[in-house]
Amino acid sequence: MSASTTTLDSPPPVVESGGRDVRPLLSRLQPGLLIAWLVVAVVLLWTVLPGWFTQYSGTAGMAREKLLPPGGVHLLGTDELGRDLLARIIHGSAQSVTGAFVAVAVGLLLGTLLGLLAGSLGGRVDAVLMRGVDVLLSIPGLLLSLSIIIILGFGTVNAAIAVGVGSVAGFARLSRSEVMRVRRSDYVEAAFGSGGTFSKVLWRHVLPNSAGPVLALAALQFGTAIMAISTLGFLGYGAPPPTPEWGLLIAEGRKYIATSWWLTTFPGAVVVVVVLAANRISRSIRKGSS
Amino acid sequence: MPSYLAGRIGQALLVLWAAFTLSFILLQALPGDALLIKYQNPDMGLSPEQIAEIRASYGADQSLVLQYLHTLGNFLTGNLGYSVSASVPVLDQLATNLPATARLAGLGFAAAVLLAVGIAVLANLARFAWLRTAIASLPSLFISVPVFWLGIVLIQVFSFRLKLIPVINPPEWQGLILPVLTLAIPISAPLAQVLLRSMDDVLTQPFISVARARGASLPWILWHHVARNALLPTLTIAGILFGELIGGAVVTETVFGRSGLGQLTQQAVDNQDASVLQAIVVLAAAVFVVVNLIIDLIYPLVDPRLKKSLGANA
Amino acid sequence: MRISRRLRSISAAVAALALTTTLAACAGSAGTGPTAAATSDTPVAGGTLVYLEQQAHTNLYPPSGGFYPNGGVLNQITDKLTYQNPQTLAIEPWIAESWTSNAALTEYTFKIRPGVTFSDGTPLDAAAVAKNYDTYGLGNKELKQPVSEVINNYDHSEVIDPLTVKFVFKKSSPGFLQGTSTIGSGLVSLATLAKSYDELGSATNIIGSGPFVVKNEVLGKEVDLSARSDYKWAPKNAANQGRAYLDGIKIVVTAEDSVRIGSLLAGQGDLIRQVQAYDEDQVTAQNYQVHAAPTKGVNDSIAFRPDNPLVSDVRVRQALLKATDSAEIVSTLFSENYPVAKSVVAQTAVGYVDLSAKLKADPSESKKLLDAAGWTLGADGVREKDGVKLSLTIYESLPQPQNKQVLQLVAQQWAKVGVKLNILAGDAGSRTVDNLDPEKTPLTVAEVGRADPDVLKSQFYPANRDALLQKGGSSTKVKSFSDTTLNALLEAETSQTDLAQRLKDVADIQNHLIDQALVIPIFEEPQVFAAAPYLKGLAFEAVGRPSLYGVWLEKK
Repeated sequence: MSASTTTLDSPPPVVESGGRDVRPLLSRLQPGLLIAWLVVAVVLLWTVLPGWFTQYSGTAGMAREKLLPPGGVHLLGTDELGRDLLARIIHGSAQSVTGAFVAVAVGLLLGTLLGLLAGSLGGRVDAVLMRGVDVLLSIPGLLLSLSIIIILGFGTVNAAIAVGVGSVAGFARLSRSEVMRVRRSDYVEAAFGSGGTFSKVLWRHVLPNSAGPVLALAALQFGTAIMAISTLGFLGYGAPPPTPEWGLLIAEGRKYIATSWWLTTFPGAVVVVVVLAANRISRSIRKGSS
Repeated sequence: MPSYLAGRIGQALLVLWAAFTLSFILLQALPGDALLIKYQNPDMGLSPEQIAEIRASYGADQSLVLQYLHTLGNFLTGNLGYSVSASVPVLDQLATNLPATARLAGLGFAAAVLLAVGIAVLANLARFAWLRTAIASLPSLFISVPVFWLGIVLIQVFSFRLKLIPVINPPEWQGLILPVLTLAIPISAPLAQVLLRSMDDVLTQPFISVARARGASLPWILWHHVARNALLPTLTIAGILFGELIGGAVVTETVFGRSGLGQLTQQAVDNQDASVLQAIVVLAAAVFVVVNLIIDLIYPLVDPRLKKSLGANA
Repeated sequence: MRISRRLRSISAAVAALALTTTLAACAGSAGTGPTAAATSDTPVAGGTLVYLEQQAHTNLYPPSGGFYPNGGVLNQITDKLTYQNPQTLAIEPWIAESWTSNAALTEYTFKIRPGVTFSDGTPLDAAAVAKNYDTYGLGNKELKQPVSEVINNYDHSEVIDPLTVKFVFKKSSPGFLQGTSTIGSGLVSLATLAKSYDELGSATNIIGSGPFVVKNEVLGKEVDLSARSDYKWAPKNAANQGRAYLDGIKIVVTAEDSVRIGSLLAGQGDLIRQVQAYDEDQVTAQNYQVHAAPTKGVNDSIAFRPDNPLVSDVRVRQALLKATDSAEIVSTLFSENYPVAKSVVAQTAVGYVDLSAKLKADPSESKKLLDAAGWTLGADGVREKDGVKLSLTIYESLPQPQNKQVLQLVAQQWAKVGVKLNILAGDAGSRTVDNLDPEKTPLTVAEVGRADPDVLKSQFYPANRDALLQKGGSSTKVKSFSDTTLNALLEAETSQTDLAQRLKDVADIQNHLIDQALVIPIFEEPQVFAAAPYLKGLAFEAVGRPSLYGVWLEKK
């Protein structure tokens, strides 16, 4: 068991994050953090009150105004059906944010639960659970996520669930290793020593202390999830039309890359900015927790 | 040690079997199947009776348990069957696509490591704070660009505008440059972040100041202290990524029109080509367990602290 | 509904006319293929053509040749007994020098051209032809080879002498002669027919007698063809009678649209299939050629499944027909290569009648019809009746050009009269299962390419493609819908021997489909190719598959 434990104990997988980087120089970056939160705030406002930001519909357009380049009337131009691109981005934020949120929630909840159980119960339960995670990792992620979408049906939330399931293993491994680390620490030993019950110690000490890196990963996953949903759109497994979801906008807009560059560039830029913001916030969470 | 190894191999076989079984169940849960998709298509002009006959000839009218045992038996005897949608032996498909994916994934991973090391070192060597910050945020940028977009843009720029590298019928080594780059950029991001963090951790240790005071150069310190620290996490990520790469290369393969397991997987899912998918799952699971087994065996060599626990187990 | 499968049986009338070689005069106006690429310049031999396909071929058993990527390969490596002139649609000699049939059209006798060989050296003689048609006509259970859709009522073959073969049918089979010219009737060697259907996805297993031979294949990615130097049995009326001008063809699968078109314009490819309308300007701006080959069959349309109670009322269907503005769809999304539909079938189809007066968009009339049918506007702008919303569902059809965009525009147009159209994207499995259930899919996208008036029966008859899902057809989920008038018309039309009466029948069918609003035709679907300016002599078979035999490269 122990050797495989080493595999699992070591730092987390693929989506592992935005480390504290070069800490000394980051302390100067507080304005960056402010901007990051500002970006998140604006996007959240878009999701709740899209009508404040655009007069156009996100799903219906004027056929005569198709494929207009960015300009005065349509700030970011229009698509092949004469729909305002900015309006689609703003109205699409609800879909994308929900999608990313669901993806992260599924991964976080399932993964953390598995990791917590495995890490704190140890022994046979640990072995069985972590072999289960191995099985999950050993099946190509592509097959898993496409199959889940086929079974659940095409749509942003279902695609998000598929993406979330794909990240369960990562969250499980990370939270398990964090739990193990915290469990071995002196104060938890002490808590047990002073007669704390297992669940109490878990709740009071293990969970709060292992939450930091897990939450940081969660914030980071936010951006990764939008990317993953976009890739599914590229592969033909995106939400049905006329859903204006960011990933789908990038995927569909790529067809016009040589003729109408704005269709893929602007949604792409929005995603880059949001992901960078999420990363920045993820970093600050990690830093705060360490 | 041998008994430890036997245990690990046993576990590995168990994971293989579980992956096989799980994927069989998963495929059964999908609506329709390969035969339905192919023959129920009105374009085939087949009557319901003719379709039923075809289904029977493929054994699709048997019970699920029988089909499962049949499939399992075939796999154990090395008979991978035929692809229903493409009408070629699955073995031929694997033989065409596996080397292509292995090359792409192998080079992609190597390039990702180089890129990650480059970023980490540059971030620490850069003279200006703003430059360091910019370099350190490259990984975040890398994971926020969709791979298909990156691939298409690289092709538009390097192949169509600058006409440096052809996409159609390129010489093999030349044809690999853009796809490898496309694949490497997103993978390098998590690696670079791990490296940046390890460096950060090491460089703030007291002994570094001592070493520097004694006149050690920064590159020397990075090489001697950071490299070893970063090797473990890199290996771990490698183990997971390699399995991911088999399916994860699909976008790169589609954009660049390369054959490979990713594309094969997607097409097989589209057509619900069960025999192809089962073969891919077993292959991917085998690669996954073998790579992880190797990594587990390498760990103690890299990090002496782990030798003891391994020894205790053996 | 993959675009254009094979030409199936041509009608009794057309076949009979072809037999007496008077067809050209009658149907001459029906087909104007874009074969104009041929110039007066003298062809130059040599060079390898790089042809970029969007998808990999699947099974290359000739009757599966209707799928365009399959046809693109098969059309270069196999020959057929007869050749259908794409302009006149007349049947001309090819491997068969001549043919006769009895009056009842239950027996056909073909005289085979001497000296033809398959690329494995075996002779293409009466025995080989007999074996081919026995397989296509009856199927081969042992080898899992299915029956060809092109050949109906087949009984058996008789080898009269080494170069004469007779086919005998159970019932009169008027469409057989035209069927021998289709992509699905390519002749292959006995060695190919001895292979299991499961192995015919490997191009190297397909041994034909065509001007090109499969030299090499990388599964799913590339097929290399090389010219046969001893080829000398082209269709009798072809300009070239010797070997192909090209030395070879490289068919490369390039799925991504922008990469395919960029490669062509950057000089990395010579010919590409599937050019979207919005990319045509890019091609012509650089003096490259756009070839739009009409598919001459049922137009790109939306078909109703009246078994679903939401669309069982003819007034609702008529309202939706009038709510649809196909002119707006074409002007927004397409180019002049995509004519607005004027009937159920294309203007290039045999028996076409202009029904454009009945297809005019008229939203106010549409609203009136919906009001009359009892559907009243709800608070959310969607009509409802007895608590049920007029909300309809359709699956996007991937092979149709910009289908997702077309359906979204239709949805916008229908929304204006208070009808909701939900567009589903879905995997092949769900789509296949749901499209058999009228409750789940009250609408479907329909399109078939076929240079044959029989195309209507093939699309709508319950025993064929059954686009409307009738009781007793392909689906067991249908409760009661059956259009006996339509079926009777279709049956009458296909057995009609008098041409004038037959054309009248075809017109009646088109009128019935539109009057009952069973179909909403949108536009005539072409197969669009783009080629480099130096590529000459490109031709297409009757429904838009490229024929590369006469192609030559001016300079490279």
